[in-house]
Amino acid sequence: MAYKRQFYPGNSIPAKNRRRYLDPKVKLKNLRDVAQDDVVRIMGHRNPGEDYKSIHPPIEEGKEPECPIRKLVTPIEGAKHGDRVRYIQFTDSVYFAPISPYQRAWMYLSRYRGVDTGTLSGRQIIEVRERDLEVMAKEMIDNETFDPALTGIRGATVHGHACRLDENGLMFDGWQRYIWDDEKKEVVYVKDQVAIPLDRKISVGAPGDMKDLRERTTIFRADGVDMRDDEEVTKYGIRIHYLRTLGGFQPWKVKGE
Amino acid sequence: MATPVNPPADYAGVPLPEVQIVTNRLLSAETTERLLNALDVIPDIRQINMTGEGIPKTINSGPGKGLDNNHTERRVINVGGNEIELRYLVGAFYIEIAAEDEEIFNVRLEQIKAACNEHIEHGYSLQVGRYSKYRPTLHDYRSA
Repeated sequence: MAYKRQFYPGNSIPAKNRRRYLDPKVKLKNLRDVAQDDVVRIMGHRNPGEDYKSIHPPIEEGKEPECPIRKLVTPIEGAKHGDRVRYIQFTDSVYFAPISPYQRAWMYLSRYRGVDTGTLSGRQIIEVRERDLEVMAKEMIDNETFDPALTGIRGATVHGHACRLDENGLMFDGWQRYIWDDEKKEVVYVKDQVAIPLDRKISVGAPGDMKDLRERTTIFRADGVDMRDDEEVTKYGIRIHYLRTLGGFQPWKVKGE
Repeated sequence: MATPVNPPADYAGVPLPEVQIVTNRLLSAETTERLLNALDVIPDIRQINMTGEGIPKTINSGPGKGLDNNHTERRVINVGGNEIELRYLVGAFYIEIAAEDEEIFNVRLEQIKAACNEHIEHGYSLQVGRYSKYRPTLHDYRSA
């Protein structure tokens, strides 16, 4: 029997969103268009137009050792050119951000090749070869998993995901990388992801309204959709918990469970 | 040798009631200034302590370490003619009231509520109790 890939159980809004974000066949909606050069500026790894620094010669030039795996795997563009590995890190607010770090990890690994990602309580880092990272970063900033007010691009000092929002509805940032433009009603980046001032302001558009964000989120919350209200998700959680516990306690009993 | 740390606040010695105000949103420096000025004119307030999310003066880690933070909300505010350096995005107030009796206390409480209703746009929760120390303890006399 052919295996059909499954993503996430449940019929609640967050469960459905999780399935959508995880499924690589679903094309995510683009809600904004931040210029590629501006994405490069916000990340701060190189200046726009500057050459990519490399750490090894292009694969085609170099003599690769005889290795069946190397023959099997098609290298991503950055690996072909020998780019450095660079990163982008997002912080997601608990106040109905479109996605949260753990689902980001699932999404990254489900949708992209050649990435290394790490989950922390409020942030998710992704490390990729530089030229691939830039393309991915633009996608992630442009699409529906990003909200200007509730998602932060923060390389360091990410504190804020669990803080109350400020009066403009922005997630707290001690380094104030982005500010509220009251005239345009938009969020504007004034510092790059490690808080080095940018030469010019970069707008990432207007935040979504709360009603819309509650429809887009993957976050289960007691004041939104409670995880316990989704029967299938609850059963799935309990089953994993049961199997893990049994696996540690009496692993021979797991067979057939 | 480190000098003894002064008590951070002036202790009353007796457990006077405190009004705890926790705001639903973190307040900007401007709102904090307006609210404090509205509270400043209410009699019988002995002291106001504030807390919130700390804003560093300089970038404290990463490649930009040492650069000025230039946070628009980290600035000097003017409260009742006194300049106060705000280092937080304020999210909670603890107002200690030295009222003679309960009746006066209730009047002051209503005045505080009125000031909050006027200046805190996104709402707040308010409780009366005792949330901080009112007399020195061993901690205040330690040498480091």
